[in-house]
Amino acid sequence: MSTTVSRDPSGAPGLFTRRATGLVRQGRTRDALFYNVMWSSVALTFAFFWILYPFAYQGSNAILAFLIAAALGLPGAFLYAMLAQVMPRTGGDYVFNSRALHPVAGFAANVSYCFWLAVVYGVYTTYIAAYGIGAFSRVMAGYTGSSGWLSFGDWFATEWGLFITGSAAVALSALMFILGGTRLFFRVQVGAFVLYILGAFLLPIIVGIFTGSGDFTSSFDDYAANLGTTDAMSTLQASASDAGYASAGFSFEATLKSVSVFWFIFGFIFSSNYFAGEIRLRRRTHLYSMPGAVLVAVLFLLALTPAYLNFADYDLNGMLGFADPAAYGFAAGAPAYPELAAIASGNALFGGLIVLGFTVGLLIWLPQTMLLISRSMFAWSFDRIMPERLSYVDPRTRSPVVAIGVVTLLAIASTAIYAFTDWFSTLSVLLGLSLTLLVTAAAGAALPYRQKAMVAASPYARTVAGLPLLTVVGGLAVLGFGAAIAILLWDPGSGASLSDNPGKLGLAALVYAAAIVVYFVSRAVRRRQGIDFELAYKELPPE
Amino acid sequence: MRVRRGNEAGGSDAVRLYYASDIHGTETLWRKFLAAARVYEAGVLVMGGDVTGKVVVPVVEDGGAYVAELFGQPERAGTDEELDALEHRIRANGMYPHRMNAAEVERVAALSEDAREAWFAEVMLVTFERWLALAAERLADSPVRCFVMPGNDDPHAVDGAIERAARVEGCDGRVVEFGGYTMVSLGYSNRTPFASPRELDEDELYRRICAIADAAGDMDRCIFNLHVPPLDSTLDTCAALDEHLEVIMAGSEPKLIGAGSSAVREAIERYQPLASLHGHIHESAGATRIGRTLCINPGSDYHTGRIAGCLLQLRPGGVRHQFVTG
Repeated sequence: MSTTVSRDPSGAPGLFTRRATGLVRQGRTRDALFYNVMWSSVALTFAFFWILYPFAYQGSNAILAFLIAAALGLPGAFLYAMLAQVMPRTGGDYVFNSRALHPVAGFAANVSYCFWLAVVYGVYTTYIAAYGIGAFSRVMAGYTGSSGWLSFGDWFATEWGLFITGSAAVALSALMFILGGTRLFFRVQVGAFVLYILGAFLLPIIVGIFTGSGDFTSSFDDYAANLGTTDAMSTLQASASDAGYASAGFSFEATLKSVSVFWFIFGFIFSSNYFAGEIRLRRRTHLYSMPGAVLVAVLFLLALTPAYLNFADYDLNGMLGFADPAAYGFAAGAPAYPELAAIASGNALFGGLIVLGFTVGLLIWLPQTMLLISRSMFAWSFDRIMPERLSYVDPRTRSPVVAIGVVTLLAIASTAIYAFTDWFSTLSVLLGLSLTLLVTAAAGAALPYRQKAMVAASPYARTVAGLPLLTVVGGLAVLGFGAAIAILLWDPGSGASLSDNPGKLGLAALVYAAAIVVYFVSRAVRRRQGIDFELAYKELPPE
Repeated sequence: MRVRRGNEAGGSDAVRLYYASDIHGTETLWRKFLAAARVYEAGVLVMGGDVTGKVVVPVVEDGGAYVAELFGQPERAGTDEELDALEHRIRANGMYPHRMNAAEVERVAALSEDAREAWFAEVMLVTFERWLALAAERLADSPVRCFVMPGNDDPHAVDGAIERAARVEGCDGRVVEFGGYTMVSLGYSNRTPFASPRELDEDELYRRICAIADAAGDMDRCIFNLHVPPLDSTLDTCAALDEHLEVIMAGSEPKLIGAGSSAVREAIERYQPLASLHGHIHESAGATRIGRTLCINPGSDYHTGRIAGCLLQLRPGGVRHQFVTG
């Protein structure tokens, strides 16, 4: 055993440290940063924006919209980073809210979050089929003229194609955890990250820099010719015009409404908080990896958006929404940004890599989210609200296999909903997810008053203008999250607006109500077993 | 001994035991540990090791004020109240504030590692003995039994302090009894990369556990209190370290391994006690079963000011557990 001495810049020892277990160096900040950047689905959201643009956001300025969304999410990113430092325990907002507000608030908000995440699985799985594998097949057909590739790709856009492909992807994710645990997953994630950054960002940016709209028209026509349609761009323009498409000038209202789309990124770019507590990291790890991820996402979008607009401007994206895809040779559906970038590249290899990178980004989201939901379930079970069995961890793989099984079933159910029904739109899950963020922001603001000793012992014991730092940041997060929720309720494109979809707010409230009922039923059952699980949240007086 | 009756207590003759571990010198957590007896209505308190801290923060005289470094930031205390507040924050974060002048700081910094470790133990012992006096005061008129065991990180000097304490009972390396149950305790761990004060090879660890367990009697009413958790039990998962004590990364996450003891696992499998309590691996809180034995590690978040613990309801024919973070 030995001791070490830490010196400050003046040369005097700042502290004397023993060699004792647990004194490990910090984990790498960039790993949590990568997780946040990947999980927040920047590429998918970019695709959403252009798919939804013709129908809901004509006149929107993409750059202004994502900058507003980033500004609304930034205080929340700081708050989550601070809360993860103050309460480093598996479970994220469940832990924060149950300790800062009330156990039932923590449980209900977290159940709601997990419920809506389970629902959003269907978005990813069906996009994997249609805009991933389906698009890849069409890119191959577009460059080779093979009808086999084309019919193969078209199948993925059918209802059963969406369901079977999506379910298979979910099952593969579960299998990865069951067979290899998180160790295998993180190995896969490394490769996925490289392919994702290369295909979904770097190549489209490079292609965009060197490809103007004239070059793109030529590539588009050649590509469509291999799909069986000549002079496709002119046909596309005529079809859009016939369908009533008219170019729109800048609209601030449309821009503000389209913040809904980019909220898909910036409302959820701090998810490493769900497991950040498992390995003790230093103070700035979370500050760099959560608000830092906001910065990285903004930089990606700042590079990608103008590059993309260079070959596919607002008008082309508008026309793609109005025109009949079959008329210009895309019978399975209009191409999204990855396929358009693939076409612009004029090269089968680059085109294939672009679509593969995008697809891998969707695929890796599935196990990432499985990890996130299963860890929340683990926390409920750990606190005895849910059955002990749910937190069973396989000794070999160290994975919560029962919780993963439950998530798998929910994800397949969600895939079926998105494949066979139109109950939920692409963005309608955002409202339910954002309500949990709002609860957490309120919890953060209240924490210095509800858990004085905890905050006093933390690195965030300072005050700003007489108010506790956490209260200030929490207050700003309430404003940011509140504004985002207001936009979701106002924007018909969100699928959760009060004007067009008033039932979604009711459904979100119903999920909370159901979770509250489960909590009180569980409490009664546990008390009969001699367990008062509310003791788990009770602050012991340091008397 | 408090024996709670009725259904809510888990049936008549139930013994409620509160277990926590790895508070690493955090005074707030020691105070909370003592308060747990009243708040959780526990008749038995067990501290499972690693009670002393790892860091001494010099609070250095500087022209009528005191300066210290906390969380990498310079702190200055100009008044007695500010000094008290600064020292309180240092203690609350599991570190020992120690008032020194600049010359003394330089002297300690220049000591050999062994000499500095001895100095460290002296500083820690002053605080630890104050904690034991606090326990005597808080538990003076209480029937609560309070057991404290050193862990692998604790210097040997704490053993004598525990034995001398008025209201705290030692249990390390022996069998103790309460409410019709026995408890087998051992604070030593298997080898770690940190070369901490109480480490043994697996063979010797197994031999010592068996020597104590053989004297414990009926395993249906026996609890193991072994600081290190059983190997590959899911209670021992932590980040793998390289020779420089750097976390080894596997992709975007630390590479996780089981760092528990094969000797502990083998002993549990052999004796099959009612329950087995563990600490040591802070980030691997959980409950699992090895055969019929309920194995618990409540984990540790000592630097947050919250004490992670577990309440056990011991009753004829079984045990129920509940994790609590106070």
